[in-house]
Amino acid sequence: MSRKERTYRIEGIILRRRNIGEADSIFTILSHTHGKIDAIARSIRKPRSKMRGHLETLVQSSLFIARGKSLDILTQAETIDSYQEIRTDLEKSAAALYCFELIDLFTEKEEPLPELYKALKDFLEILKLTSSSLAVRHFELHLLNLLGYQVHVSGCVVCDGRLPEQPALLVPAAGGFVCSDCRLGSGAGRIVSVPIIKLLRFASKATLRDYIGIRVSAENLNLFSAITSELIRYHLEREPKSKYFLDNLPPSS
Amino acid sequence: MISTVNTFSGIPEPLARLIHELSKLPGVGPKSAQRLAFHLLRASEESTKLLVLAINDMKLQVGLCSLCFHITEIDPCRLCQDGERDKSILCVVEQPLDVIVLERVGQYKGTYHVLHGVLNPIEGIGPEDLRVKEFLKRVQDGNVDEVIMAINPSLEGEATAMYIQRLLAPYDIRTTRLARGLPSGADLEYTDAITLAHAFEGRKTF
Repeated sequence: MSRKERTYRIEGIILRRRNIGEADSIFTILSHTHGKIDAIARSIRKPRSKMRGHLETLVQSSLFIARGKSLDILTQAETIDSYQEIRTDLEKSAAALYCFELIDLFTEKEEPLPELYKALKDFLEILKLTSSSLAVRHFELHLLNLLGYQVHVSGCVVCDGRLPEQPALLVPAAGGFVCSDCRLGSGAGRIVSVPIIKLLRFASKATLRDYIGIRVSAENLNLFSAITSELIRYHLEREPKSKYFLDNLPPSS
Repeated sequence: MISTVNTFSGIPEPLARLIHELSKLPGVGPKSAQRLAFHLLRASEESTKLLVLAINDMKLQVGLCSLCFHITEIDPCRLCQDGERDKSILCVVEQPLDVIVLERVGQYKGTYHVLHGVLNPIEGIGPEDLRVKEFLKRVQDGNVDEVIMAINPSLEGEATAMYIQRLLAPYDIRTTRLARGLPSGADLEYTDAITLAHAFEGRKTF
């Protein structure tokens, strides 16, 4: 991206909003062309602001931005999609916020990630239709893949040998499964059952739409969630803050 | 703290300390803090004493109402003590400032409950960080027929309203929310789709 351009236009999804000063807000946006950016909208919290409704967390907008000294300045915004189906559902909102936090934590600013932008758009489209936790799991694994933290699921990460059809040791530090012969000295891990290994394998090749169609027992879903959480925690070296909220929502009546 | 204070070279230590303290205030940078401190230095002893007294009194006398958690100098607050107000209606707001704004309108005659924030999972703010438990206790104590959600319609605000609505599900309580639509002086051309949709939904006979 050229630093010479004084203004630029992007399509982006707003991941986060922080209010500052009397009426300004700083937005963290994942864009198609410029990656993750922070930009400030002046006087956005005033009732007369023309951009007010177009700039909000979980809104896909067409944005016009001017380069600023420290922060770029949002000058025009127009909503493309406000994801009403998600924002009116607590589970879906919590899932979207969790995935936004993951993107924020895993990515650097101004590093173009068009594939991640597309993955997020696809995820939000699916989230409009279903609050299936499989969609979140798929997004977690897809995010890891796109950012170079792919979990090696086809064979042993040490000897590249084929994994037999039996529970295997997943070692996050090694980046995948380790066969019984190579276990010694491979690091701390967790034994993963065959159905979960299959879920991990299928996630690496299936589209999100196909993935949410598969049937998984509640027990396996919980185990699968624990595995992906462990992988995320390993790479981030901490738990995303929004995970607890996502996992502890009050039951719907 | 000392090391930061000492960075104001050539400035007497008490003045540097004041600049340092003032610069901790929201929206006050080092330059503004310096300007404010020099203004106070030149101000009369009387006016600085009044300022110190006001800050001290505020800290000593203003607390939170044990019922609605609005800011008050008496407990329960005047709004909760007011016998004219309808105790069966509870208006849930984010901040004490929201109560002040709603009271300025003078239309609402029920009581309030101040959450002191909204759920913000990304910032790690969960229900345990808000006055949600206390709100539920007020509801459980009975006598509440209606809960009005007067929470800002941001994603976090919506999530908070939905969360509270879920907690209220086991009780026979009417849950409402403030109408959403076009503010006065709005321009249709610049209005977003969500607001327009709400404006259509909430239209009234002319």
